[in-house]
Amino acid sequence: MSSAARTQLLRDSTLAGREQPQSPVGSATGTKGSNGLAISVRGLEKHYGERQVLRGLSLDIARGSFVAIVGRSGCGKSTLLRIVAGLEQADGGKLDVGSAGCACGERPGIRLMFQDARLLPWKNVIDNVRLGLPRSALPAARAALRDVGLEDRARDWPAALSGGQRQRVALARALVHRPQLLLLDEPLGALDALTRIEMHALIERLWREHGFTALLVTHDVQEAVALADRVVVIEDGTIGLDQAVGLTRPRGRGSQEFAALEDRVLTRVLQQGSGNLADPPTAAEQVDALRLAAVRWVI
Amino acid sequence: MSSTLFSSLSWRRFGSGILPWLLPLLILAGWEYSARSGLLSTRVLPEPWAVAKAAWHLVQTGELWSNLKVSAGRAFAGLAIGGGLGLLLGLLTGLFVPAQVALDSTLQMLRNIPPLAMIPLVILWFGIDEGAKLFLVALGVFFPLYLNTFHGIRTVDRNLIEMARSYGLSGWRLYRDVILPGALPSILVGLRFSLGLMWVLLIVAETISSSSGIGYMTMNAREFLQTDVVLVGILLYALLGKIADVAAKGLERVCLRWHPSYQ
Repeated sequence: MSSAARTQLLRDSTLAGREQPQSPVGSATGTKGSNGLAISVRGLEKHYGERQVLRGLSLDIARGSFVAIVGRSGCGKSTLLRIVAGLEQADGGKLDVGSAGCACGERPGIRLMFQDARLLPWKNVIDNVRLGLPRSALPAARAALRDVGLEDRARDWPAALSGGQRQRVALARALVHRPQLLLLDEPLGALDALTRIEMHALIERLWREHGFTALLVTHDVQEAVALADRVVVIEDGTIGLDQAVGLTRPRGRGSQEFAALEDRVLTRVLQQGSGNLADPPTAAEQVDALRLAAVRWVI
Repeated sequence: MSSTLFSSLSWRRFGSGILPWLLPLLILAGWEYSARSGLLSTRVLPEPWAVAKAAWHLVQTGELWSNLKVSAGRAFAGLAIGGGLGLLLGLLTGLFVPAQVALDSTLQMLRNIPPLAMIPLVILWFGIDEGAKLFLVALGVFFPLYLNTFHGIRTVDRNLIEMARSYGLSGWRLYRDVILPGALPSILVGLRFSLGLMWVLLIVAETISSSSGIGYMTMNAREFLQTDVVLVGILLYALLGKIADVAAKGLERVCLRWHPSYQ
């Protein structure tokens, strides 16, 4: 495809995106009778040495909603997640999770899924799932494992599992704790495309069943649009775009509305990329990867 | 014709089973032959058959068993003292930064002293008693276990510790479920090093002076030019070393059965 044709197509789909009705921030499918936690972030600041990662970021997330955060490498999206998880301390601003309002230490209602599954290799699958829980939690661990479809692997070592299976075990481990807020830090980044789509369906189903609030950090715009009620683009340590996704679930990826929304978010991420300050090689690589993804969806 | 014969499965299985033993058997046969024909003086090396007979004699008189017991007792007592201390201090310095700051550089300096260089001093301190042998063995096995325990704890995957903390593990549970199993491969490597050194140091200590043990048995035999008994002693040391190594490997297989390289 010539670059002119691609530009044309991109412009068309951007126009389609503008026609999409935009619901006000935070009201998508959120406030249903869920047991999720609400998050309120006000003027969050974080810097590592001289480098400022978050610049007065503010964000409200409704209980039980599914919010995706996208952005380029180093935009501060993972840092935001780690601060919400309590793994790092903010340098300024206010973070309010649920009614507890505690911004310190370990938070029982919050569970985090990492990019690598981080299973303990010396514990078998079922013992990994019930990590940190007493023996009495064994039935619950089994149930969680059944939920992710790996009940028959309970006695296996993590080394014997595939990448997708490990992430499913990690998901089960998080679910056993009945989290009110599940944080997902690029959990599918290392998986192949087919496994990813399976995982999307699984995560969506479990989110609907359990009713937790989900906050997903990803660099895959398609993944964000497929899963989230709201897609938030973070650029340069603050919010660049806050896009509601009103598509009905389950979402067909072939639909025009889907493509239009994806393109709108992607265009925003790419715009920010031109003339940006991040390290050039990785930034350029990512632009390429994203452009390819864009082409795939406008054809 | 011959190529199909050689490549047939049964022949290959037979070959791989027998072939490794062929050379040792040939050497043994050559040794036996040259000793019998007088090419090799019994003062230098007695014939294998004589060694076997000497070993049998020692078993019958009970000498072999009692000396073996004494030597193994010394070795494992030294390992328990030195290895236990090494493990303990390694855990201490690995887990607590103040302990590391206070102890590690001193221990790293002491590590460079070869244990055998301490012999004159050890004899002055302990005489030629049991204490001297225990001290030498303990000193030798201490450092491999200390260094590998320390290293093992320091190289436990930080991401796993972060994950475990975020799942509410702390203190003893974090230590039991994450840090210790993560350091175990390295600790077991230290144990194998220690076992190797343990026999070397014991041999030296027993050869210098003792009134019991395998070293005593061989040195006594040397006085009477009983080269066959000397050889029995040497072979016994080899056997004990092999047994310790097999035991350590078995321990690894049991403790690290989760590890991909043991599956």
